[in-house]
Amino acid sequence: MVVSLISIILLAPLAAFVIFALLGLAKRSFPRQDLLSTLAMLVALGCSLYLIKEIVPKPDPHTVEWISLGNITLSMGFYLDSVTVIMLIVVTLVSSLVHIFSIGYMHGDPRYPRFFAYLSLFSFSMLFLVVSDNLLGIYIGWELVGLCSYLLIGFWFEKDSAANACKKAFLTTRVGDVGMFIGMMMLFTKFNTLSLYDGAQEGIFTQAAAQLTTGDMVWLSIAGILIFCGAIGKSAQMPLHTWLPDAMEGPTPVSALIHAATMVAAGVYLTARMFPILTATSSLVIAYVGGITAIVAATIAIVRFDIKRVLAYSTISQLGYMMLAIGAGSYVAGLFHLTTHAFFKALLFLGSGSVIHAFHAMHAHHDEDHTDEAAHEHDNHGLVHEHGSEIPPDQDMRNMGGLRKKMPITFITMLIATLSISGVPFIFSGFWSKDKILGGVLGRAMEWNSGHHYILFVIALCAAGITAFYMFRLIFMTFFGEPRNQEMHNMAHESPWTMTVPLIVLAALSFPAVNHLWFNKNNFKPPDQPHIQAPQHAYVSPDTKIAFSLFGLSEAEAAEEEGGKDTEQADKAHHAHEVAHNIAMVLSIIVAGLGILLSWLFYHRRRFSAESVATTFRPAYNLFWNKYYFDEFYDGVLVALTVWKSRLFAKFDLSIIDGIVNGVATITRKIFAAFIGFFDNRIVDGIVNRVAEVTWAAGGRIRRIQTGAIQTYLFVVLGGIVLIILIFRAL
Amino acid sequence: MLLSLIIFVPLLGMIVVLLLPRDSEELIKRVTLAFTLIPLALAVYLFIAYDRSDAGTQHAVSVPWIETFHINYHVGIDGLSVTLMLLTALLGPICVLASWRNIEKGIKAYMALFLLLETGMLGFFAALDLFLFFVFFELTLLPMYFLIGVWGGPRREYAAIKFFLYTLFGSVLMLVALIAVYLNSSIIPEERTFDIPTLISLAGETEHALADPTFQIWVFLGFFIGFAVKVPIFPFHTWLPDAHVEAPTAISVILAGVLLKMGTYGLVRINMAMFPEGMAFFTEVTEETGLWGYSLALLGFVNIVYGSFCALAQTDFKKLVAYSSIGHMGFVILGLAARNTMGVNGAILQMFNHGVISAMLFLLVGVLYDRAHHREINGFGGLGNRMPIYMGITTLAFMASLGLPGLSGFWGEALSLFGAFQEFEILAILSTIGIVVGAAYFLWTLQRVFLGKLNPKYEELPEINKREILTLVPLGILTIVLGVWPNFALDMFRESVAELTKLMGTFQAGL
Repeated sequence: MVVSLISIILLAPLAAFVIFALLGLAKRSFPRQDLLSTLAMLVALGCSLYLIKEIVPKPDPHTVEWISLGNITLSMGFYLDSVTVIMLIVVTLVSSLVHIFSIGYMHGDPRYPRFFAYLSLFSFSMLFLVVSDNLLGIYIGWELVGLCSYLLIGFWFEKDSAANACKKAFLTTRVGDVGMFIGMMMLFTKFNTLSLYDGAQEGIFTQAAAQLTTGDMVWLSIAGILIFCGAIGKSAQMPLHTWLPDAMEGPTPVSALIHAATMVAAGVYLTARMFPILTATSSLVIAYVGGITAIVAATIAIVRFDIKRVLAYSTISQLGYMMLAIGAGSYVAGLFHLTTHAFFKALLFLGSGSVIHAFHAMHAHHDEDHTDEAAHEHDNHGLVHEHGSEIPPDQDMRNMGGLRKKMPITFITMLIATLSISGVPFIFSGFWSKDKILGGVLGRAMEWNSGHHYILFVIALCAAGITAFYMFRLIFMTFFGEPRNQEMHNMAHESPWTMTVPLIVLAALSFPAVNHLWFNKNNFKPPDQPHIQAPQHAYVSPDTKIAFSLFGLSEAEAAEEEGGKDTEQADKAHHAHEVAHNIAMVLSIIVAGLGILLSWLFYHRRRFSAESVATTFRPAYNLFWNKYYFDEFYDGVLVALTVWKSRLFAKFDLSIIDGIVNGVATITRKIFAAFIGFFDNRIVDGIVNRVAEVTWAAGGRIRRIQTGAIQTYLFVVLGGIVLIILIFRAL
Repeated sequence: MLLSLIIFVPLLGMIVVLLLPRDSEELIKRVTLAFTLIPLALAVYLFIAYDRSDAGTQHAVSVPWIETFHINYHVGIDGLSVTLMLLTALLGPICVLASWRNIEKGIKAYMALFLLLETGMLGFFAALDLFLFFVFFELTLLPMYFLIGVWGGPRREYAAIKFFLYTLFGSVLMLVALIAVYLNSSIIPEERTFDIPTLISLAGETEHALADPTFQIWVFLGFFIGFAVKVPIFPFHTWLPDAHVEAPTAISVILAGVLLKMGTYGLVRINMAMFPEGMAFFTEVTEETGLWGYSLALLGFVNIVYGSFCALAQTDFKKLVAYSSIGHMGFVILGLAARNTMGVNGAILQMFNHGVISAMLFLLVGVLYDRAHHREINGFGGLGNRMPIYMGITTLAFMASLGLPGLSGFWGEALSLFGAFQEFEILAILSTIGIVVGAAYFLWTLQRVFLGKLNPKYEELPEINKREILTLVPLGILTIVLGVWPNFALDMFRESVAELTKLMGTFQAGL
């Protein structure tokens, strides 16, 4: 049952893509590719929801041998636990909604069917990644989602910016992927398997836990960090984060699905999946990478004016949050935040898409003659030029303002998402997940022996406050105040129902209460695996408890799940965590409130001027505005160096290596000529000259071949072979 | 018998083509196509009928040929050879189709030479007699020389001679080594032999002259250089870009698809199986071998990184693909240097996959060249809207070549690297640079050719036609099928590789 359901989940979207590809080869296309792809996604969603029933406490992987080399086999299979099902539902749900949204948003695009085919391929790849029980399968899905991301970022490839962005995204993530690949090689060499769970042979987790006794942890730490490198690339963590803001060149539904809700979260998913083999060292690395990413991206987001870029940096920052949680040991909190974030961030992106769409009608009106060539291509006039970066006018928040009356549904849904991401207490899901992370980090910092890891908590808290600030800045600039661009404002309109319905559904999912509907009790259980960091369960418990309550489980049931661990020590740790969570909750409410208040004062009441603050703190502002100069460094140093090196290699190849070859040829020819001259050419002429002609001087002779006497040559060749044979026979 | 039929049907085809009147070009093409389709059908049959559980030689035929030197016409197949024969037979008709319109003059001679070339290649992969092996090896050289030298681009003469002399240089060393092996096969002249299986088992006997480590090292080198030129391994590679750039499309396809594989096939068949001691010297780091133990893996690494970086700098589409071939063949060398199950299986898989993928790439370059009459990557731009199907197929081929999982190119590279990592950690890690650079040059090319605004010069460029699609579709299907289910190919040679590693294992304890 499980296998067939998962097969349907995978094959439905794949079939939608294959139909498109096969028909495309015959220069045809399915008349309603959009409906086909959407239907495939809805089928997958239905099956995913049904799978909730199938979760068992300790699932068996369903595997087949994929690569068999005699004594070595690599198997491929599915693994279905509560985490898998959560991910399946998140992916299929957001994907379905994005499909529906795109029917409205992408309407009229010349490559409309292709867009849906790509979405289907992406959904397949992402789902494959999620259900895989082994690193190889995850890696395959991992790279395939990268391909789809590439294709979709570059969907409007006539734009040079899009063409650059898709290449950058693929290459940057590939750098991380290579790290992951090396990590896989290490694990395979050590454990002789890539399966995570026990099957025909012991999986990586079991074997790694056995390492605990031998004490060789350095090796495992390196492998864990290398696997995490893949996540750094995919989840746009520092320092490989620069591709994600550029990826906003893709159509906005793509940003919502791939670059907010699912693909970028795959890195978090992977890291959480790999949690059982993370050592203390690798956890610490992960925590710091995540923490730094969270704060740096948040500071960059404050100064953006492009509505999609604000959301992109916000996504990076939130992903950093999740990584931080996993690094701090609260991987359940990380996954929890992944889920809530998927819904509210997809909503924010789709909402921004709705705004862009509203402005876009005006834009298309302006460039009517261009629309058939590429409906969304942005013309040069009206582009805002600042510091060399160009913001399309329909994405520039400085052209917006006062839209709340024009687009009430978009406004209200986006406001809900903003309240959720800002961590407004109690009724919004984002508060709970973010609070769990903060509590987990603080609790962990208290546990860590040296005090300086409190910095992680401080970072997380600051990032939370900044998030509230810039998100409300976005809301105030877009929906409040007076319209800044009256012409554009007049054209704006609420989006059609295909676009607003997904917004409403996602907004509903930002309330924990709604999640109870799809998430039934008894289903959410932390992965039951041996862990490297043995005392982890103590940290998990408060997290799970909250998560459980979110998903409709009672405290008692949660405690039951945690049963058997009530040793005195665990109790103590438990208590410490309770305290940590209470402190974190109070502080997080305070910083969120501060962030919102400041934002209100700056961008709504205009008590303070952002410009004057920017002038006062010029260096900091420049740093944020220029995104910490990462792009400059990469383009100016790394890319330039690579290209320079390649030119050097090519030049070396052409002049040195080939030069030697040609030089040897010339010298040989000269020696040969001298040789001929030395001997009496009357004697050797006949033989040597013939040889020389055939070999060294054939160039001049070949013209004769061209005149059509090739047949003779052919016969000469054959004759030569026959001759050789005859000679041999005679000997 | 079946095997001989496959090998000599193209030769028969050549004779038939030569007897046809020169003017009836259409007929010549059709006859050639028919004579390439027969070996394909037979090779498919051979592939299906091959007993996958048997590591030994199948369909063997051995008849005395030149008795004075104990040379036999001995052919037979194992999993490795049948895979490569299928590749060769598959590329035959594809190349004929690819030559359908763009060979303007001398079609008769062209087709005749092509058929001769096919016999040479097929025979090479089936030969089990060292001398026969050499004859077939050389037999491919001459038609190739003429095919490049006559039907090639502006610098065809230079390229053809360079190719010819380079390979000949390698062959001479090989010939010397070959004679040395023959003379050492027995002290008694009457018992000397060229028979490959016999020589392999003789080399396994302790105290036998062939098993002497020093002898093995030198003979290994002789064969190795001969094959290294063919692969090509740095620094013997510079003939390749020239030959590719000048050769007509179909000949490039054969060159990259099959001829390069002859080099690595030779390494497996002769160097690894017959000279395991020599192989060990260059691939196993011990006190005795010292740094020599790194040499083969190092060459693989250099090929990968050097080829990839050179490819990145190219602006000629075909030259770029040629350098990428050098890079990708490096994975074969790296996998072979590992000598373990994963590495060797990966290397062989990579041989087949590279044959398929590089054939696609050269066909695709040809499609564009036939339309635009140049190959300057920077001279295109924005073709994606003009030729969406062509772009789709090109993207598939590029992705396969840059090692996207789910397409065949990935498995060869991955298994080779996995195998190599177990023996040469650092070199395997460094070789992954090639994966990133490989992605860089292919994506950059994709961008410069297809993305961006359409170059106004090419507003009327016609989309890829049915015949061209027909040449690409079988290769594309193979790429996807092997990407999803690599066992389809691995099944064929898994047992043969196991045998090979055992062979080497008997010489190196602890492998």
